Amino acid sequence: MSSESALSSPSRPSSWKPWANPIFRRYCRSRLRPRGLSVWLLVTLLLAGFLFFLCRTIALYQAHLSPEDAARVPLIPLLILQTLILFVLGTAQVSGGMTAERDEGVIDYQRLIPMSPMAKVFGYVFGLPVREYVLVFATLPFTAWSLWKGQVALHAWLPLYVVFFTSTLLYHFTGLVTGSVVKNRRWAFLVSIGLVFCLYTITPQLAKFGLVFFKYLTITPVLEECWSGLIPKTAGAVVSSVQQLLPTAKFFNLDFPEAVFTVFSQAGLVVTFIIMLARRWKRAESHLLGKVWALLFFIWVQILLLGNALPLVDSGNLFPSRGFARFARLDFAWEPNRLETVGMSGLYGLVTLMMVFILGGMITPTPENQIRGWRRARKQGKTSLPLFSDVASGSWMTALMAVAGAVGWYIFSRGLVESRWFPGHLVPLSTLGCMILVMLAAGLGFQFLLETRGGRAVGLATITIGVAPIMVGAVMFSIGSWLYTAASWVVGLSPLSLPLYASGSLLSISELPPDFERSVPRAFLFWLLVAVLVTLWQLSKLIAARRALARRSLEEPIQLKS
Amino acid sequence: MISSTETPAIDIRDLRVDYGNFVAIDDLTLTVPRGEVFGLVGPNGAGKTSTFRVLTTLLEPTYGEVYLDGVDILEDLESARRIVGYMPDLAPVPSDLKIWEFLDFHAAAYGLGTKSQRRERVAECLEEVALTDLRHKWCKELSRGQTQRVVLAKTLLHRPRVMILDEPASGLDPLARRDLRQALRRLADQGATVFVSSHILSELAEMCTSLCVMNKGRLLASGTAEQVRQQLGSNERTLTATLLGRQQEAAAWLQSQPGVHRLQLAGEQVVFDFTGSDEAQSDLMTGLITQGIRLRTFEEKRSSFEDILVEVAESNRRP
Repeated sequence: MSSESALSSPSRPSSWKPWANPIFRRYCRSRLRPRGLSVWLLVTLLLAGFLFFLCRTIALYQAHLSPEDAARVPLIPLLILQTLILFVLGTAQVSGGMTAERDEGVIDYQRLIPMSPMAKVFGYVFGLPVREYVLVFATLPFTAWSLWKGQVALHAWLPLYVVFFTSTLLYHFTGLVTGSVVKNRRWAFLVSIGLVFCLYTITPQLAKFGLVFFKYLTITPVLEECWSGLIPKTAGAVVSSVQQLLPTAKFFNLDFPEAVFTVFSQAGLVVTFIIMLARRWKRAESHLLGKVWALLFFIWVQILLLGNALPLVDSGNLFPSRGFARFARLDFAWEPNRLETVGMSGLYGLVTLMMVFILGGMITPTPENQIRGWRRARKQGKTSLPLFSDVASGSWMTALMAVAGAVGWYIFSRGLVESRWFPGHLVPLSTLGCMILVMLAAGLGFQFLLETRGGRAVGLATITIGVAPIMVGAVMFSIGSWLYTAASWVVGLSPLSLPLYASGSLLSISELPPDFERSVPRAFLFWLLVAVLVTLWQLSKLIAARRALARRSLEEPIQLKS
Repeated sequence: MISSTETPAIDIRDLRVDYGNFVAIDDLTLTVPRGEVFGLVGPNGAGKTSTFRVLTTLLEPTYGEVYLDGVDILEDLESARRIVGYMPDLAPVPSDLKIWEFLDFHAAAYGLGTKSQRRERVAECLEEVALTDLRHKWCKELSRGQTQRVVLAKTLLHRPRVMILDEPASGLDPLARRDLRQALRRLADQGATVFVSSHILSELAEMCTSLCVMNKGRLLASGTAEQVRQQLGSNERTLTATLLGRQQEAAAWLQSQPGVHRLQLAGEQVVFDFTGSDEAQSDLMTGLITQGIRLRTFEEKRSSFEDILVEVAESNRRP
């Protein structure tokens, strides 16, 4: 080695060409070895071929469909197979692979290689599941043949496969974030599969209760839109007429094709995930999201929730009972139920509160981070921490999120109550004040506790104060009606019940059953007062703890511990 | 501290690393000139790995300034990462790659030219660590020593100007250790700076042009092995004078001399501990002769480098 070469400076690998991305190529090499790939390929082709021929022959020889219609039949089963490969196996591979890198200890090498954080993120997100992509590509000839012979229009399959790809990216990014956070390989694998299951099956159910945005995290809306063009024409005509009844994607006063809105919604989440990962690649100690981005993300989700929901109120399509009535062919006399409306408002508040918990937790510095921040400040001769840095308190931003969330909740509730379905009912501005109090008391109480006492205390509080009262209350409800009053007081202890109780108590349309008519509003006011007082007490503890920490770090000599 | 007129390869100023209330590195200031093989010695928990992780940009310090070849690593992370080559303790390797694939991946990640240029460089590095014959072997099938050598080859790939090697000799057989020593010297001769830690202390003294000792996050001493010995206060040596008679008189005279303590008589020998400069020791010998005492031999036994570090480690364990 010459001395000149010893000091040479290498060039930077390209960030945006996946085929030139060293991390992508590294995984192509390791995950596409003929020996391992051939077995998987064989199994996939066998399954795809089986589905293709079985569906086609049944359609041709049992159902006696025309060749054109019969060719369309395998499309959906093939799509399900492709979904399983990329969504489930691919996501698990992404999160498990990421955790494996850390487990083996080679992640430090990858941190040091002079590629941009973005290039590393893209290298992993396309490289880790590369085998699953190949397997899906292997099934595409069957799909292509079905599309061709079935004469499926471009506008029927192209949006579906575009959204299939963006959903894949969304789930893989979810897996990558999970892999970056969860330390155990097996847990990362299980958590990511659980998350995909949750995102695909449980979360979209919220759409039936007014939170329409959540259904756009799946390919279901686009599949519903394209469905009629993918199935045999005779059935397609029936589906098409049913589709006329289904709501389209609306965003305030704008109408979008389902595919466009799904891509738009998923893109926002994907960008947020990319930012999280890039932050982690730049500095392993960074919070997943910066304070400002967390607030903007929260507001963005609120806007999407409201934008999707409010346009559907007047048509009645937002209400879950409308769907049931339509299927029972009773919608000619349908009107929204007051209790369901109150429940929808409460659910909106609860989901918003959960988001405040998650994002507030994400931006809250650990005591260790705070000590580091203060000691650095001391070194730089400063007496305060930069407001938006990771080491600064997350309380301000959590408070802003709580207020923004309460405003969103108020707008949603007002949209429901002041709609044409409930003439004469209004939601006064004082309700907004109460909603802000609920969000601040519960959201900030959680955040103060987290910042002062750390994650373990919050976990304990969540179990004992958040979950246990609801469980105890549920058991009491099941015993008999004579315990309903006591049970509503016990459930009200949980901060999670506050939004539901608030909607039940504050909205004028609320018609609680006689057993709860008095107890719920009283329990709500009492526990809200308690929550506010506890939060104020937590605030005083937080201020004292932060002052003590700052004083200790800024003034006192630091003792060495062995 | 080692001074140098040119920009030093490593310049650490007031470095501090906290893990919560635990102080891993406490105001460390250290300069390593270019072309040195610089050793870092210290017992477990001394702050060696934390220092290395800060230098390699893997750990953000609580505060302090660190310059690698004049580049501020907190300001210009990417440039710093190009300059540095890091071989971590235990030298992990991926289980799903072969040796040449592992090296080729890193060569590509560092942007080392075309495919053929990369292959050539990988071959050079494999040659350097004597693993050419095993290039098609799976990383997971290697012995500990072979794994160390593969990771060393990876570290050499992009010709880093500063190499940080955490315990590179652990797991190597004596022959491989000798080869490693020679390789490090060669790299230093070519202008690279090697910062290396080891628990095999005598070996580190042999391998390094300079070294430093850390304990409880603090720098205790730095310089050549001899300077470090002196800075650690180990100027004490055990002297044995073998006399031809008059041992009692010699003992009485020696006892009265400054720096002499723990004197014992053992037959014709007088054994005592002495703390003082080499000149004072010479004066002591001359004094004995001047007293008319017939001196047959005069032996000196200094505490070994190992002893000094064991003492440091012991002090680390004490509360």
